[in-house]
Amino acid sequence: GGYTQSPGGFGSPTGTQAEKKQRARSQNIVPCTVSQLLAAEQVDETFRIRDVEISQVTIMGIIRHAEKAPTNILYKVDDMTAAPMDVRQWVDTDEAGSENVVVPPGTYVKVAGHLRSFQNKKSLVAFKIMPLENMNEFTTHILEIVNAHMILRRNLMSASRVPQSFSSAGMGDGGYGGGSSLPVNGLTAHQSQVLNLIKNCPVPEGMSLQELKLQLHNMSMSTIKQAVEFLSSEGHIYSTVDDDHYKSTDAD
Amino acid sequence: MVDVHEVPRPRIATGHLAQHIGKPVCFVGRVEKIHPTGKLFVLSDGEGKHTTVELSEPLDEEISGVLEVVGRVTNQATIMCMSYVQFREDKSPFDLELYNEALKIIHEFPDYFPFG
Repeated sequence: GGYTQSPGGFGSPTGTQAEKKQRARSQNIVPCTVSQLLAAEQVDETFRIRDVEISQVTIMGIIRHAEKAPTNILYKVDDMTAAPMDVRQWVDTDEAGSENVVVPPGTYVKVAGHLRSFQNKKSLVAFKIMPLENMNEFTTHILEIVNAHMILRRNLMSASRVPQSFSSAGMGDGGYGGGSSLPVNGLTAHQSQVLNLIKNCPVPEGMSLQELKLQLHNMSMSTIKQAVEFLSSEGHIYSTVDDDHYKSTDAD
Repeated sequence: MVDVHEVPRPRIATGHLAQHIGKPVCFVGRVEKIHPTGKLFVLSDGEGKHTTVELSEPLDEEISGVLEVVGRVTNQATIMCMSYVQFREDKSPFDLELYNEALKIIHEFPDYFPFG
């Protein structure tokens, strides 16, 4: 039979190792520091920063050096966390357009690109290099890096702790698709876990607080209650027969 | 002498100078005053605290607004500047207080924003 994809950051359950690898390609674009990219470990085609899978990344730094070649521009971008990183931008040789304009050293830029490693040296292949017009974006980027890596890491941790009884059939032992997504709904890991359990509950009167406590071994009742209160005030869940029973507002 | 631009340079505020004596750092602050010799200037951080920045050669241009200084902290807790960059504020002013809050976060969570 089939299965529904669990919401809240779980990848689709997979069977074989090969399938897992294919589907595990990260769909995210993750803001990073150069130091994180340099520390990323490579296993086959994938890079991981402390177990969090990355592929497309953004960095922000100042251009220290720019070298123009016929087919590409090689920049060295410095964000102070390590030595400047090599960033290569391929140039469209047919088009005499903005791709051929070299961004001058001393400019702060945002780079979006793919992490690469060649002969043990890391670099980025950029698909976008944009000079910063507002330096407050740089401050935001710093905060986004901490936020993103914290959330991605928390998703990894909480995924391994979700009780098996609510895993979709076929998820297998510790089967985690690896394609974690940043929760765009702004929920914390605790709130997501509570919401997922409530969503997956098939009983008409919904899930009770007691049942939540039974399933969520790592959470205290007060944490669960706090999560339920938040989810309820945000409209994700509603109480049914009494204040102890909740259902999800999302049609599954 | 190793080029400070090739090593990690933690972003710090005035309050962190004492813990980084002798080390390469990156300091962002607003220009408060410039010594007549042009070899010294004072920057204020997001909390208004002052840091003295020294140069080996006198300034050859006017500086104002927000500067990002890369250098090494001296024994006197000043910064010996190796290079600096002016943050552009032609389109929007730079919120130095917010940057200071961001510094607190990255110092609190070094695992998620590693220097080196």
